[in-house]
Order: sequence, then structure tokens, then C-alpha cells
Amino acid sequence: MYGKGLLKGLKVSLGWFLRKNVTENYPDEMPNLPDAFHGNPIFDYDKCIACNLCVTACPNRVITLETETVAKKKVVTAYNFNMQYCLFCGFCQEACRPGAIRFGKDFELTKYKREDIKIKFVKPEQVEKKKQEVLQAAAEKEAAQKAAEAAEKSEAKATEKPKAKAVKKPAEAGAATPNNNMEES
Amino acid sequence: MFETIFVDAANWLRNLLISINLSPFVVEVFLHVVKMVVILVFVLLNVMWLVYMERKVSARFQCRVGPDRNGPYGLAQIFNDVAKLISKEMILPTHVNKKMYLLAPILIFAPPMAILAVTPMGEGMAAVDLNLGLYYFVAIAGINTVVVWMAGWSSNNKYSLVGGMRAVAQMVSYEIPLLLALVGVIVLTGTLNLNGIVDAQKSAWLIFTQPLAFFIYFIAAMAEANRAPFDLVEGESEIISGPYTEYSGMGFAFFFLAEYANLLVMAIMTTTLFLGGWLAPFGWTFIPSWLWFIIKVYFVIWVVMWMRWTFPRIRIDHLMNLAWKFLVPLAIANIFVTGLAKYFIGI
Repeated sequence: MYGKGLLKGLKVSLGWFLRKNVTENYPDEMPNLPDAFHGNPIFDYDKCIACNLCVTACPNRVITLETETVAKKKVVTAYNFNMQYCLFCGFCQEACRPGAIRFGKDFELTKYKREDIKIKFVKPEQVEKKKQEVLQAAAEKEAAQKAAEAAEKSEAKATEKPKAKAVKKPAEAGAATPNNNMEES
Repeated sequence: MFETIFVDAANWLRNLLISINLSPFVVEVFLHVVKMVVILVFVLLNVMWLVYMERKVSARFQCRVGPDRNGPYGLAQIFNDVAKLISKEMILPTHVNKKMYLLAPILIFAPPMAILAVTPMGEGMAAVDLNLGLYYFVAIAGINTVVVWMAGWSSNNKYSLVGGMRAVAQMVSYEIPLLLALVGVIVLTGTLNLNGIVDAQKSAWLIFTQPLAFFIYFIAAMAEANRAPFDLVEGESEIISGPYTEYSGMGFAFFFLAEYANLLVMAIMTTTLFLGGWLAPFGWTFIPSWLWFIIKVYFVIWVVMWMRWTFPRIRIDHLMNLAWKFLVPLAIANIFVTGLAKYFIGI
């Protein structure tokens, strides 16, 4: 029939008229973002094992990781994220095995002050708490080891000499020497 | 209760004026002035609303939201648009024909206003019950072309001139199928009075008895009102803004708003002639006649907007071919068939 296409066109546009809006009223409502969206970086202090992989993975040297060895354990003292250079590639997220650094959905990252652009994730009290925990764990371990040794000693008292010298005192060994893995650029 | 609200208001005003001992002639003149002011306000309000409606409907066809920042549902956008157009400077280029250039935007609003004076907007609600209403409508609607041509010529700009010439070519071409389509209506109703035509549709709307005439009339009227897909006169991708290229500020505002006034007139005439005017369908008389009229008019306007977002602008030679090679022969055939039916069956 002549003009059939016109009717078909009208039908199509009517279908669009009746369809739901696709507009996201962004400032009023937050947009519907996919799960893999790369927005604000989120750092989980307790999960971080200070492996430094994120620092090396970052193409723009955005991440600065500072550690301190306490009782033979590395304790993260600073994890700075220089947002102005971040290109949201997600390499750090990929490199991080324990999932300490990842990206959230917040994309409104503008800051009023320039110094606020650099995100300092680690708080001093977190470091203190972690240090205490590490020390406590080390002390407990030592105590357990000593007890085990004492038990062993008492068993083999007659034949063997004591081995107490082999165990270092952890508190002394970890005498605060901050280990800067990367200089700030 | 609401059915006769406007007629009652007019009668109350007439009685009031008679009671203060004015002569009948003065009373009638005064009443007509009031009616004209009411029509003026009606047109302006509708035009403002149409600017908003066009944007909202366009948005809906593209799954957008449209204006929604100002006021509830963006309704205050209407006032923003109008205030912006009014507050801008109207630049008068040095090379234009000043008299014509300034007269065109003033005259552009006259034809729609004049036509609305004779249209019955409800039961007994025509401002002037003219015997030759349809004839008058056709005559006045033709003036529009002259005004657009005035704007196109006086601007002394090649785009304006091309636009003006297109306007004349298009409107003159489409006036013919439009008129011939209306002949079918006149044959069936036997009257030129718009009230009479509405009354004649009490048994069946003319869209059902004259479907071909409606089809031709609708296409031709869309071309007359410069609506897409027949908006070649403006054709912004080809000739900037056609005859309105040089206009700015208030002058442009008049043309811009007159486009919508013409759309309104086109929808009102379609409703009156083919969709039963103010007659209630299915005997649903609980809705007042004037409200039925508005509902129908806005439905027609919505259909026109629907067409706008469906069809691309057609080429100028296709436009001419459509009018002369398709619509005119079809309209003549329609007259012939209608005449035969009238003669043999006596509808």
C-alpha cells in the first residue's frame, strides 16, 4: 500500500512517546552506575599488607605507601592517594590481592582547597592501634614460644643446653625506623 | 452548570449594560470589543502554553524530561521564554525596507485573531456568527502568505528572500487542495456557517463521512501552518530561519508566537470542520461543550507534534509534486464522488 511506511513511522514514534524516560535527573537523583564504576578510591587499612604492588602498578605514581617495621612486621604508616594524577585505570585495584584499595561509585571528587585533592587515607590513631596490635601479637607469640621452650627444656634438662639466646626481643628489634618506599614526586 | 458559563457571562454583561440605559448599538459594540479582548487573551495564553507543550512533547518523543527547572513541571519556563523574547533588543538592519520590515511582525498576528472570531468554541460560543464563516476563514488564512512574503522581501537578505518565495509557493500550492477538500464538506453540510457545519455533524462527524477530505485537508493545513514535515519556509538547516532570519527581539517573538497561533487556528478549524467541533462524542455531555472543543483541539495539536517527530522535512520539489500531482486530483475526485453520492443517495 502507498504510504504504508508513513504509518509504520508513526507507530514507531508513538512507541517512543509511550516509553519510559531515559533521563537521569543527575543533581537531584544520583545516576544508576554499574558495579565496576571507577569513582572515588576506597582504602581498607586493616586489609592492607603493605606489599607495595599498587604503588608499582600505578602508571602515574599516584599512590605513596609508607611503612614502618614493627616486630618484624610491616605496618602502613601512610597511604596517600594523589587524586589529581589518578586516571581511574583501576590497575591498583587489580594488583591488590587482599582488596585493600578499590574504587567506589562517588564521582563528585572536586574539592574546594587544592591540598584536599591529595587524599591521606591513614590516620595516626589507626597506625598506633595497628602497632599495638602487632606488638601484642608478637609478645603473645614470644610468650607462647617461651612456654613451649620451657616445657621442652624441662623435658630435656639433663642433656641439652638452653636456647633462650636465639629468640630476639621483638620490641627492641622493631625500633622505629620508618621505611619510605617511595619519595613524593 | 459549566455548560453555559461563558454564554451566561455574556448575557449578564449585556443585561448590565442595558440596565444602565445604553443604546442597543453601543451595547453590541461594547460586547464585541469584550469578545475580541477575550479572544486575544485566549490566543496569547494558548500560544504561551503551546511553546511549553511543544518542548514537553518533543522531550517525551525523545524519552527526555524537557523543561522542569522553573516552577512545578517547568511551567514557569513559559514566562521565562516570553520575557526573554520581549526583553531583547530588536535590531533594525540598515539595508531593510523599514516600513515593511516593521509592519510584517505586527500584521502576522492579525489573520489568526480574525479567524478565531468566527469559530464556535462551544455551544453558541462564536464571537461573530458569520453566515459565510468558512469562506471568511479561507480568505483570511490566505493573507498570512502576504505577511510572510513582506518579511522575506523587506529583509533584503538572500535567505529571507528564498524563505519568502518558498512560503508563497508552498502556501499558494496548498491552498488549492485545502479549498477543494473543503468543497466536499460544503456539499455535504449545505452551509458555509461554521455553527451550521458543527450542527450538521450531530449524526456523524465529517471525518467519517468525508475521510478523504479530512486526509487532504489535514496535510494541506499542516503545510499552511508551516509545521514539520512541511516547514520548508523556515528550514533552518537550509536557509537559516527563512523570512525571519533578520528579525530579533520582539519582531522575532511575534513570528515565533504566530507560528503557534497558526497551529492553534489550524487545529481549531480541523476540529470544527471534521471532528464535530464542540459536540460531545458518545453522548458524554457531562463535560461542557467548550471543554470538549479544547480537548479535541489539543488532541489535533498533539497529532501534529507527533507527525513532526516522525517525518523528516520533505524536499521542495516533492512538496510541490505532493500538492499538484497527488492532493489536487484526489480532492477533485473526492468532490466528484461526494457530488454523486449527494445526488443519488441524497445524504
